[in-house]
Amino acid sequence: MKDLLTVELKFSEYHTIFPKIMLTILIFLAVLMLLLNIVKRIKKGTLTAFRFQFFIDNYDKLKFYGTVVLLIAYALVLERIGFLPASILFMFLITLLFIGNIKKKSIVVSLANSLATSLVIWYLFGQLFDITLP
Amino acid sequence: MDIFEILSPLSVLLCFIGVFIGIIFGAIPGMTATMAIALFLPITYSLDMVDAIALLIGLYVGGISGGLVPAVLLNIPGTPSSLCTTFDGYPMTQKGEGEKALKIGITASIVGGFFSLTVLYFFAPVLASVAIKFSSVEKFLIIVFALTVIASISKGSLLGGIFSGFIGVYLSLIGMFADNNQLRLIPPGFEEELAYGFSLLPVLIGLFAIAQILQESEEGMKASPHQTFDFKKEKKNRFTFKIFNGQIINTIRSSMIGTFIGMLPGVGGSAASISSYSQAKNFSKHPEKLGTGEPEGLIASESANNGLIGGALIPLLSLGIPGDSTTAVLVGALLLQGIQVGPLFIPANPDLWDGIIYALIIANIVMFLLMFFSIKHMAKIIYIPKYIIYPIIIVMCVVGSYAINNGVMFDVWTLLLFGLAGYVFMKIGIQVAPFLIGFILGKELEKYFIDSLKGSGGDLTIFFTKGPIALLLWMLIAISIIYAIMDNRRSKKAGDQTITPST
Repeated sequence: MKDLLTVELKFSEYHTIFPKIMLTILIFLAVLMLLLNIVKRIKKGTLTAFRFQFFIDNYDKLKFYGTVVLLIAYALVLERIGFLPASILFMFLITLLFIGNIKKKSIVVSLANSLATSLVIWYLFGQLFDITLP
Repeated sequence: MDIFEILSPLSVLLCFIGVFIGIIFGAIPGMTATMAIALFLPITYSLDMVDAIALLIGLYVGGISGGLVPAVLLNIPGTPSSLCTTFDGYPMTQKGEGEKALKIGITASIVGGFFSLTVLYFFAPVLASVAIKFSSVEKFLIIVFALTVIASISKGSLLGGIFSGFIGVYLSLIGMFADNNQLRLIPPGFEEELAYGFSLLPVLIGLFAIAQILQESEEGMKASPHQTFDFKKEKKNRFTFKIFNGQIINTIRSSMIGTFIGMLPGVGGSAASISSYSQAKNFSKHPEKLGTGEPEGLIASESANNGLIGGALIPLLSLGIPGDSTTAVLVGALLLQGIQVGPLFIPANPDLWDGIIYALIIANIVMFLLMFFSIKHMAKIIYIPKYIIYPIIIVMCVVGSYAINNGVMFDVWTLLLFGLAGYVFMKIGIQVAPFLIGFILGKELEKYFIDSLKGSGGDLTIFFTKGPIALLLWMLIAISIIYAIMDNRRSKKAGDQTITPST
């Protein structure tokens, strides 16, 4: 009993003790939740009925994937072409994407939003507060 | 101490700006006080500590208070904590008493705010002076207690809540362990970037802001239902403070409930609003009228959610444990300035402690004046379209993440990674609040665990045999788990699916 409740402490292995315990607990909890779920399913008689739906019905594919792609593209070009050009371009495109059409009015709104915000952030953070910008 | 020795005119101005911006964030559904604070963290680098905290407290108070505007006018809670405000607020708007309802809510808010502030002022130092004597065993158990409470509140699945918390802990362990400078859990190829683990700020903003934006883009970024409302000339039924006659007990009780719930770690604002609303209903002389546009319900909900603020700051400032996700972000702010929260916080930073109290006072007053006298104009905030706001937020998130460690591109990737993770979490049922608290406290948890074992030579029974406080903490842990299991059963039996608190 005493051995069971004692953890062997070695200086060179301090860093692995706690992560191991955490991993054990996580696996234990995951197995427990899985078992409880199976029991619940057996009781209800729906053991084989899997109905997991990741996206909501009729999700907006264009806006969702568009946002993901634009975010990644923004991060990729940020350091290459600098904060101002990257942000103005990104904000213009994403505002346009969120509005969802390419009418003249939307383009004007997007352009105004992207220019104003990028310049204000650039001035306020970069110049006034002296915060490092990409 | 003299208030103006602590707060410069600049801090007062920043507090004012904070409240103003906070109200905007609170008033736009989907944007929260947490998001507001996380977004403004980068600005605080260049500010003095007291100025920074004044700005953040302003954002906090404004963000929680602003939620009542859409709740009353559009029947959409602007923040989770104003959920129950919709029950009586919106019916009042339908009756043409929108302005009156807003003013009742604002007045209740300031009462709740001041009540919790008083409790914070007197209670936090006492709690801290007790906690100061804690050894690593008790500190370890307090964090475990915090995690079990969070998990027990997360309705639906207790195990799921605990699981989410431990995932947070596990991810926080990535990087170097300070005792022996060894790296662990780092995916191959990222040894340099992850030597100190993921930075807290990008993780926070990712989980709260980017995840939210991804979710809304999935839903097609629909404009909030633009119902029109107009303030009619309310001659016969105008707001007077007389409404509060006979509501004093209700107001105080709700403020107390809010403050108390705020103190429990990890419990969100919606829980405070729900409990005080149901208590108001229990004690009401005419409970059947609640939900049809009674000031009583409105007062209960709004004084509770502002009571939450001071309450949530108590465990943060006395034990170093964030009371909710918003105060979790405040930990990030203090860490940025090199200040460790914990039992030593108040004695070690007396000026900052006074600054926090004064900032809370000023923020509450500013909130009241700003909203009470210009509510008609403030109410128009809810018409700002999301396609304007969200791009601005994304760019601010990126700037903030990039700047956090003075220009590290990896932090921007962390932001996007956790944004995506937060979005996936919502889908697969991992709860963000326990995850976040686990992530923030994970490293401390490990440190206290190892320290305790070092003291006992590896003997695990030390956690039980250390002393009466340790046993008391074990009891609290057991109670919170048993309560959660009972509560879970009860709500399952009642089939109560109508109200689910979320943070």
